[in-house]
Amino acid sequence: MSIDRDDLLENAPCGLLVTDTDDVVIEVNSTFLRWTGYERHDVMGREFHMLLDRGSRAFYATRYQAELWAQSQVQEVALTALRADGTPMPVLVNASMMYASDRPSGIRVAVFDSTARTDYEREMLGAKRLAEASEARVRVLQEASTLFLAARSETELGAAISLSARNAFAATDVAVVAYNADGIGFRPIVGDHLLDLLGAVRNSRPAGSGALGPNEIFHIATLEDAFSRSAAVGERFRAHRAEALSAVPIADGTNVLGAFVCTFGHSRTFEQASDEVQLALARQAGLAFSRVNLQEQLAKMAMHDQLTGLANRALLDERVAHSMAASDRSGESMAILFVDLDGFKAINDELGHRAGDLVLKEVARRMNDVVREVDIVGRFGGDEFLVVCETADRDGAAHVAERLRRVISEPIPGLPEGLGVSASIGIAVHAPDAAVSISADSLVLVADTAMYESKRAGGDRVTFASV
Amino acid sequence: MPTPTPDVLTRNNVHVIGNPDGQPMVFTHGFGGTQESWRFVTPAFESAYRIVLHDHVGAGQADASAYDPSKYDSLHGYADDILEIIDALDLRDVILVGHSVSGIMAVLAANRRPELFSKLVLVSPSPRYIDDDAYTGGFTQESIDELLDSMDSNYLGWSSSLGQTIMGNPERPELAEGLGETISTIDPAIAAQFARVTFLSDNRRDLADVTVPALILQSEEDVIASVPVGRFVHEHIPGSRLVVMPTRGHIPNLSHPDVVIREIQAYLA
Repeated sequence: MSIDRDDLLENAPCGLLVTDTDDVVIEVNSTFLRWTGYERHDVMGREFHMLLDRGSRAFYATRYQAELWAQSQVQEVALTALRADGTPMPVLVNASMMYASDRPSGIRVAVFDSTARTDYEREMLGAKRLAEASEARVRVLQEASTLFLAARSETELGAAISLSARNAFAATDVAVVAYNADGIGFRPIVGDHLLDLLGAVRNSRPAGSGALGPNEIFHIATLEDAFSRSAAVGERFRAHRAEALSAVPIADGTNVLGAFVCTFGHSRTFEQASDEVQLALARQAGLAFSRVNLQEQLAKMAMHDQLTGLANRALLDERVAHSMAASDRSGESMAILFVDLDGFKAINDELGHRAGDLVLKEVARRMNDVVREVDIVGRFGGDEFLVVCETADRDGAAHVAERLRRVISEPIPGLPEGLGVSASIGIAVHAPDAAVSISADSLVLVADTAMYESKRAGGDRVTFASV
Repeated sequence: MPTPTPDVLTRNNVHVIGNPDGQPMVFTHGFGGTQESWRFVTPAFESAYRIVLHDHVGAGQADASAYDPSKYDSLHGYADDILEIIDALDLRDVILVGHSVSGIMAVLAANRRPELFSKLVLVSPSPRYIDDDAYTGGFTQESIDELLDSMDSNYLGWSSSLGQTIMGNPERPELAEGLGETISTIDPAIAAQFARVTFLSDNRRDLADVTVPALILQSEEDVIASVPVGRFVHEHIPGSRLVVMPTRGHIPNLSHPDVVIREIQAYLA
């Protein structure tokens, strides 16, 4: 049997081509022409990548060429060729570089029809993608729910939401905000540094737009979209290296509590599937938010007086001890002011407890208004109040006491003529360099005694304790 | 931004070759490539320049465990790595040579820390691949999806994928030397994300901020970054120089290294 090498090349069970180093076809066998339906002159002189579909062309020009030129060959690359009639033909391609006197002189290309294999592959690929997507979805939600459960405060929960959104959606940056009661304003829980961006986006929404609806996701998909909203939004996007943004409402049922906002480093197509994962994450976050809020409320109730909202006795004891310790460490003095209302008993007796409660609330409000930021006002019991002034000397404490005395004695609207209150105040200053160190209880007792001096002298005055 | 550490050099598989006293030239590779993409170009600069090569995290021999999908969802994440490499080696007066998408990373790095750089060389750059109203990038959203499909089919369990191609060309045995260990597999998820970041980013507005002198090398024919795209880059980077080379293809540094070398040398001279 004689072997015809030309026949082997022409009719080999694979397409064979040779291109020059610029990818131009300079030789092609009959098998390739038969498979693709091209005439020889259609293919000769044409660039090989022009025989591929767009996706394959891009892959060919990047990854395939990088490999071929750096490594001199590629093997079993899956590409999609286009037949003469425009139909796609999945192929596997091997190629190797030819050399003439050490310089690349051309490329040998072998093409295998992989239609059957590729159809099967496509199905596998589709199934794989579906499986991966649903697996990823379950994983995201599981990880998030573990993180959310561990959160003990709003701040911790905010950090957990931020981390989950980063991991789940490859977000560049995340802010978590809580809506104010008006449903329009918001405050950041995490992601303060994105406030300028959030503000610009909000300003670009129609006037009066408030919180997102419970299932309403807000998107900006591209940098151009950002600029078309407003130049301010576009510039903020650039400053934060963002090209896309999504805002997802955090709701407990229909009650929208806040939102998480993700920025992304490149343009995005926001699809229903990913929106659903975002919403599912947000629903979990909403439940966790309600739980954490309730916990914080309960904790606050345990430390605060229910009628006035001021610190209660337990919190006051803790604060006095804390401030004294801080004072001992820093060397700066602190003070406490014991305040007892004059004339309160008469109001209670004549107008009843309800009126008395209103007076206590009003006094509490006034006291809170005139103390310094750092001072803590608490209700000691009945009509007795205590003010803890962390870092205050004798003069500072006297100023605070004088403001309190004045504001408390101002008339209270609604009370009949002749009824009203004033304050008897006792001040105890704790100076860390004092020779005798005393306990928190003793300091309160000393202030109480000074208050009693004020009361005995006719009330509406301030007395310093002699410590 | 994380503090640069010597680990950066391991993370990005950094190699420093050439003249230790020479001006530093940092070469950075594009989508689909590794530092091997510069192997035919760097020899021409070794005697005069200190040459720094690296792989992007997720490519070549870089530390894939350092891949942070949040950080690398943006070209800025990669640009930060380039700056960290420069800081870790304490380089100044840097000539930064970037191919394809790395040309844009080079722009972002130079806009962030212009004082580090003396010149930029952008080979086949494109600031935006997708067409919009008044701009032709050459791609549509659909063609990007097709590219991702094409990548997927190349990572789905073929006996030997591109990333695993075994070196060995009988006609050029020297290519095989030491290359066994430089070829590595690429995680398909990372490759797909890099493709999205590359092809879906829009950095047109960053071009105007470039203050470092820049050379743009453009192939006469390039299906990824066409001549009008190269012209766009040139028109938007103030004071840049554009050279349209008589080359075909998107990776002239591999297919026509002699032309690329000549043009870079002429620019640096």
